[in-house]
Parts: sequence; structure tokens; C-alpha cells
Amino acid sequence: MEPPNLYPVKLYVYDLSKGLARRLSPIMLGKQLEGIWHTSIVVHKDEFFFGSGGISSCPPGGTLLGPPDSVVDVGSTEVTEEIFLEYLSSLGESLFRGEAYNLFEHNCNTFSNEVAQFLTGQKIPSYITDLPSEVLSTPFGQALRPLLDSIQIQPPGGSTVGRPNGQS
Amino acid sequence: IYGSSQARGQMAQSGRPAGLPADKDTSLSATRVIIKTSGKQEDFTIADDTSVRQFKEELSAHFKCQVDQLVLVFMGRLLKDHDTLSQRGVLDGNTIHLVIRSKHGSRALAHSSRNPSTKEPCHRDRNTQGNSGKGYQPAGVSHSPVESALSVQPDVPKAHTQDLEAGNPEHSAQILGNARTQRLLPDTDLMRQVISEHLAMQQLLQQNPEVSHILDNSELLWQTLELARNLAVIQEITQIQHPSRVGLESVPGGQNALGQCPADFSDEMLSASQDPLGGNPFTAPLGGQVPGQVQSSPLSPPLSQGLGEQHPQLPTATVIYASSRGLASITAAGATPNKGNHTSRTNTATHATNGRSHTGTVEQPAGGPALPSIELTQQPQQSGSRITGSMTQSLLNNPSLAAQMMLCVSMLSEQWRQQLLAFLQQTQLSETLTALGNPKASQAILQIEQGLQLLATEAPVLLPWVAPYLWGLGWLPAPSCSYPDAVPWAWDSPDVAKPKAPESHHKSGTVLQRLQSLAGDPSHLVQAPEIRFSKQMESLQAMGFGDHYANLQALIATDGDTSAAVHKLRRSQAF
Repeated sequence: MEPPNLYPVKLYVYDLSKGLARRLSPIMLGKQLEGIWHTSIVVHKDEFFFGSGGISSCPPGGTLLGPPDSVVDVGSTEVTEEIFLEYLSSLGESLFRGEAYNLFEHNCNTFSNEVAQFLTGQKIPSYITDLPSEVLSTPFGQALRPLLDSIQIQPPGGSTVGRPNGQS
Repeated sequence: IYGSSQARGQMAQSGRPAGLPADKDTSLSATRVIIKTSGKQEDFTIADDTSVRQFKEELSAHFKCQVDQLVLVFMGRLLKDHDTLSQRGVLDGNTIHLVIRSKHGSRALAHSSRNPSTKEPCHRDRNTQGNSGKGYQPAGVSHSPVESALSVQPDVPKAHTQDLEAGNPEHSAQILGNARTQRLLPDTDLMRQVISEHLAMQQLLQQNPEVSHILDNSELLWQTLELARNLAVIQEITQIQHPSRVGLESVPGGQNALGQCPADFSDEMLSASQDPLGGNPFTAPLGGQVPGQVQSSPLSPPLSQGLGEQHPQLPTATVIYASSRGLASITAAGATPNKGNHTSRTNTATHATNGRSHTGTVEQPAGGPALPSIELTQQPQQSGSRITGSMTQSLLNNPSLAAQMMLCVSMLSEQWRQQLLAFLQQTQLSETLTALGNPKASQAILQIEQGLQLLATEAPVLLPWVAPYLWGLGWLPAPSCSYPDAVPWAWDSPDVAKPKAPESHHKSGTVLQRLQSLAGDPSHLVQAPEIRFSKQMESLQAMGFGDHYANLQALIATDGDTSAAVHKLRRSQAF
């Protein structure tokens, strides 16, 4: 019996603030943040991410953000592209619709974490998923919460992942 | 030997166990697993020796689909029909992912033309339809400048200049991200030429000649441009959802409205980075000493212009943008006085910085920010302290910036204004500053400013009357005097009014006298004495002078001077 194919799974990590958070967070928040992290999962030679427009995909590094600031090796998966796309479609219709986007609670990193666990059983690094609570635990974050809550992030350059026409 | 009637306590909502052990000590036992699918999850309890196939049959009944449609994934591995769960290492409480395939199968990504039914990843030609048509080139762009031994491309500067002229943020981001631009940057002369040709840059250089040193330093230039590009990117990917602003949520709408801003911003950034600390104005010796008096005045005109140009109905992506400008200017302002730390390239810049240090009172940018900056001059001189961990301290030390942030606040929606103000109050900023957050107050201030300007041209002789009032004699409470209607008082601060009331009444009395003599016909300006002197009347009553009419006469005679009236009354009563 042939051994199953293993596909590598990577996490692309982008600093949305492009270094500003690292410099300004001590002043603004009173604590040091290394960046405002946006992540995406790269598997089967495609990059997948979640934004206010829902789940999107593009060639790796193909959003306006350019190449990632760091790449984390998540593991490997047997899940084929076909199965993965089915999975993403159902996710995009249930848990990860565009309207469900929330900067603090249900953002790109939530999605990356979910997908990483599906593909490999591993979670993404905690410094990324801890970021919202780090910000909200500061007075600045608390006070500006309504403003920040209404922010929607959608990096341009991707196309929506969904069910093709005519599918049930 | 399994007693089917002995139900285990672990029976979860929908799982029907394939078989139940009598007790846990046997080698075979039940395992509770979590099945996650379509954003939901459910518990199932099954025996370890259950085959995957059997489990799938159970699941297909539960999820109402065919067994062939089910795909089980555990730890990234596809579970095969002949496996058992224990073989695959599934333990109690583990999660197994379930994908229910659609009956028709075979789907593809929008940008891929490949047939997805094969298992192996094979080469596919990418159809670029899915990508937005920007032509952004991510591959090969690196941030490290390439060696300067390059062939000069004479056609490139022209193309760049044209695109820079367009001022389109998309283009700017593109150009700046373009690999060719990156390679050009080490070539200082060429970049200097390119940038100098840009019209806005020329204007900027005329205003602020010391900025030209930035062009001398390619690394600083690159970093500054990089910053401008990054902020343009941030602006482009960020939207703010606000239900009342129809059609303004999308980035393109926001972009059009803010079309000039990235270009403006890069100008401002260049003007802001007067002191290239270690080559980059944003290296953060912000924890260092910051004398309160320093104010980077060249920041004010461009910033206030930039803000002034914005339509009040702007999408509130402005906020992010304005705050990022504001932050950038905070760091620049905070960075400017720090002279000791850095060596190279600072000589001319330091000199320029010294020449630019002002106290807040000197500079008067046109428009609203003028007045708030006056009010706050007291604060920086007193605090004169180092910037601690709080941004609000920076605001205190940089009054014009604080004023501009307040103007930003006034452009925000009510909700956000409340939040920002709540925050500011918590951090104990001057109550003057928070009062400025009242939009009517800032409108009033603007009107006052306009009125002053008008008055200065129309009737300068009246200025001594109006001006001393504004320059800190105290806010006069509204009801006691009726001034020309050009100056409406939206001020509602009884706390401030009360302690100063006696003095201000006194002053208002003399000022009114002056006005009467100037105007010649005071009748339309002066209310009934009873109303005018109501406060003084109360004072007199409180002091024990019960004769209302006599009090009034005394006050009229002394024109509101309470103490003089008291003397008068005492003298008259003595008789």
C-alpha cells in the first residue's frame, strides 16, 4: 500500500503595523507589543486567510502586505486539496462568514488557528492568539474598544473561497 | 458480555455507542471524542475497537448523508476505513474533524484552473483572474537595498515622477514597493533628483529648507518612504464599519476621499523628521527627557491644512489615518529635542532643531488650533517632564497636536467621541482639554476666532475689549451680559464661572462702561439693571442689605461694583 502523501503546512505571519507597534506600544499601551499580527495558512501552494470579506485565497505572499514578516512551520497534513477546499467552503458558510469578522474575537488569527488544527492538530503560537487580550488588558485598549471593535481588516489581493456554481 | 441495558453515565447528546464495556478495567473501553464539523461540534462515545468504517456508518445516520461523503481527519491524518480509533492514537477527549463532501465533488479555487481530483499536488498554471488587477509584485521584493553598482535606468525616473505626481495611494504603494525603486534608493543623487522634481516636495522644501538634508541620506529617505508606504498599506487594508455612513465603508470610497493624504503624509513626515536620530526619526528615545517647551511648529501648518481639507463627512478611516499621523508627529516631536544620543548626520539637523524650538505661545497657526494651544501653554511649562509610558503626556507637551487631535475627535461619531473623552478623563488630562472635546465648544472657538479676525479688519478699536477677555481673564457667564450676537457663548461651565464671578462682573462692568462710551447708544446692549446686577443683588442681600430698591440704586450708581455699592449703602443707611 502506498504511503500517504504529506503536504507541508506553513503559517505566514505579517505585522500589520509594519514595526510601528513595536515602537509605539510602550507609550500607547504601557506594555511592549512586538507587532499587530495578521496570519494566514499556506498549504497546497496557496495562501488562505480570513478577513471582513470572508475566507480568501491567493498565491503565497500575494496580498498587498507583500511577503510575510515570518513563517512558522505548523506541520504536515494528509488532507488533500480537494478535501481542504470542501472544508473551507463549509467553514465559510458557517463559522467564518465575512460578517462574522471581529477584530478582537473572531479575526484572521482565529481562522488560522482553526485551520491549523484541522490540518495538523497543532495550534498556532500563542503570542499571536493572545494579542487581543493583551491589548484589551490596557486602559487604552479598553477605552478605545468600541472604535477598535468596528475596524475590519481585509488585505486586498485574494479571491473568495466558496462553492462553485451549481453545487448542492 | 456487554450488558446493553447498563448505560454509561457518559452518554452524550447524540452518540449511540457501538458497544459498551461492563467496566473500565478491561483492555477495551469507550472513548469520548469530539466531532467537529461545519463550525459545530458534538460528543460521541464509542468503543476503542470500533473501526473507522463502523464509526462512519454511525455518523452517516446522524448527519444524514452517505458514508462515502464522510472524511475523518485526526491530527492531520486521514482516517482509513480499516483503522481502529485506538490504532490511530485517538484518546479520550480528542477532537476528530469531519468533512462532509458535497455529492458532486470536485471543486477548485477561483484562480486555479487545475483539475483537483488528483491526490498529488501537481504543477498547475495559475490563472491570475482571481487577483486584483493591481499588478503588485510580491515576489522578489526585498527590503534590503541592493548594491549600488547598477545600471542607471534613465527612463525610470520619469515614470516614477509621473506616478508620484498622480498622488494615487495605490500607485504610490506600488511604486514604493517596486523592486526597481528599492534598488534606486542607494543611488542618492538620482533619488534626490526624482523627489525634488515632485511638485509637492518643492513646495515643502520652500517652506522648510532644513528638510533637504533628508534627501542627502539615502537610508533615512528610504526609511521615510517605507513608512509612508506602510501607512498607505495600513490605510488600504483597514475599513471601519459604521452603519450611519452609507457607502463610505468600503476602502475605495475612503481612498478617494483621502486621495491626497498619503502624499500629504509623506510631506509631513519629511518635515517632521527634522532630527534624524540615528537616521530614523522613529527610533524611540521617547522614554528620554522631553523638555515641555519644545514644539515642532512646522508640523502645525501642514497638519492643520491636511485636517482642514477633509470633508466633515469623511469615512472614519480618517481616524486611523489621523491618529497615525498624530502618533507619528508625537514621535517626531518627542524625538526632536533628544540631541545627545546620536552622532552622525546630526550636526546640521541639530542646528535646525534648535532654531525650531518654540514655546507654545509664539506660533499661531491659522484656524481653530490657535486657541487651544494658548490655553495649554500653562501646562507644558509646568509639567516639563519626561514622557512616561502614556501618550497623553505627549499630548500635554505638544499642545497644538493635542488641539488637532481634538479636532479629529470632533469629526468622529458621537460614540467614539464619548469613548475618547472617557479615556482622556480617566487619564486626568486638563479639564480644559476635555471640554474642548465638546463639538459645540470647538465650533464656538472657531467662531470666536473668525469673529476676532473679522473684528480686526472691521473695527480694530474694539479688539481691546474682546481680546483681554479671551486671553485668560476668565470665562464670563452668559446670563449677566448681553454682548453682540456675533459671539455666542456655548460655554456651560458653572464650576469655572462661580469662583470668578465677582471679578468678572467687576470687569464686565468696566468693560461695558467702555463699550457704552464707544458705542454711544448702549440701550440695545444693556439689559435691565435688575438682571445685569442679579448676582450682586444676591450678594448684597446675603450681606444683610434688605432694601432691594436701595441695593439696586447703589449698584446702578456704581455700575455693578459690589464693594463700592456696599460703601454707598452703608453711608446712606447711616444717615
